[in-house]
Amino acid sequence: MSSDIRRHDKSDILMHWFNAGCWLVLLVSGLGLIKNERLNPLGAWLPDALRSLFGGGSAGGAALLVLHEAAGVVWVLGLAWYLAVNARGARFFLREVFSVRPGDFAWLARKMGRMTLGVGGELPPQGYYNMGQKAFAQASVLGGAAIALTGLVLLLSAKVLPASATGLVGWAVTLHYLAVGLVFAGLLVHIYMAAVSPEERPGLRSMFTGHVPEDYARHHHGLWLDALEKDALENSAQDKDGPGAGENG
Amino acid sequence: MSAQKLAMVIDSARCIDCKGCLAACKQANHVSRGTWRNWVKEAAPPVENGPGGSRKLGRGHFQPGACMHCDEPTCVAACPTGATYKNAADGTVVIDPRLCIGCGNCIAACPYGARFRDPEKRIADKCDYCPERRAAGLSPACVDTCPTRARVFGDINDPDSDAAKLLAANQGKVVRIIARQKDTRPNMYYIASTAPQGWTVQPADPLSFDFLAGVVAPAVRWAVGLSGLGVLVMLGRQLMAGAGPAAGPGQEKKEDGHE
Repeated sequence: MSSDIRRHDKSDILMHWFNAGCWLVLLVSGLGLIKNERLNPLGAWLPDALRSLFGGGSAGGAALLVLHEAAGVVWVLGLAWYLAVNARGARFFLREVFSVRPGDFAWLARKMGRMTLGVGGELPPQGYYNMGQKAFAQASVLGGAAIALTGLVLLLSAKVLPASATGLVGWAVTLHYLAVGLVFAGLLVHIYMAAVSPEERPGLRSMFTGHVPEDYARHHHGLWLDALEKDALENSAQDKDGPGAGENG
Repeated sequence: MSAQKLAMVIDSARCIDCKGCLAACKQANHVSRGTWRNWVKEAAPPVENGPGGSRKLGRGHFQPGACMHCDEPTCVAACPTGATYKNAADGTVVIDPRLCIGCGNCIAACPYGARFRDPEKRIADKCDYCPERRAAGLSPACVDTCPTRARVFGDINDPDSDAAKLLAANQGKVVRIIARQKDTRPNMYYIASTAPQGWTVQPADPLSFDFLAGVVAPAVRWAVGLSGLGVLVMLGRQLMAGAGPAAGPGQEKKEDGHE
């Protein structure tokens, strides 16, 4: 039996599932808004089917657009709320996600080889996030910022922007499509690794409970646990909370 | 093939450039200040040599026009949201204002300059053959007001319509204004001949749209496809490893060992 280690604050967990819910609504409604022979990801039947679910034809499309715009605003407000209530957590997240250590790329290449082809060497130890999680988080952060900014341009286009801004609007459409597409490609792997693959089960549970078992942390995030233990030794006299809990405060 | 094919058959030789059609259209459709859904183009009268070395003006020509409701509309191909589409029931090219995001792609894509961005509504606008008037049994405003009957409107799939009869009566003597680079199969027919010609522009997609359709969309399809394939392979290995306790290499067992 091993003791549990705190990994996620309540606001982190809420943010994760809020983000997931918004992505689901925005992705589905957004797929119903693209309708062009050269752009349809899966053919015209998809926007047609989604529009018929929302009242049919262009009235359904109009309802989807209102839903998409409203959900987008709610999503950005939710992100802003998280940054306001847990700025420390957000800073920690960004620092971890964008600090790539030596060995991380070897970890990523070997992990991919092992998961798909069954070949690959020993995996270098990983920190709070492994390189796969970092890569997806980097895509989510940069992609999310691009999606929010271009979404703002699209939201304002037919409301306040003048005709001279249509060049900007055209590029906002292009970048919006690109960013969503690339993050979605990563999302498929994220959902598989986190929810389907058995080895990350404790990670999935921690996205509800906030805690992971110590042996899971040691095996998957060894450098994180080493840092926790080093800090705990240094602070053992005055503080019962480890930095794992503190950073989420 | 649409059931109806609403079209305009124009005898431009009858046009006297009174611009009644422009005014009637603006009034009927509340077209925003400074913008027009239709036009009368002008071929300036040529200077001709008269008898005894004198010079005189020849005959000019006026050419009424508007959106030609093409069968192969480049504007529809450039619209990312389907806000601009070809109406299957009557063949008109329509803009749904609720779906238009005002990106302006269709404006550059039209070789006839028939579209503009409404400065107040901030979305694309153009001739729609007055659907409210048609629903009330009236002709489009420009047709109704034309004092010389230069503009004739109707369903050219219906042989009893005025437009179809006029086309039939002038078979072989009908011309269309066609963009040089691309025949969009416009549904605006001019009797016998018309001028000016050659005023069309090259239909152009904005670079952002060409990049989106030509590079980004295929790249995203590849990225999502590869990612999906990777997930399927991983899922396959997971299911095969789960089928028997001995399956899978030793490394994987070690990795799963914590459970």
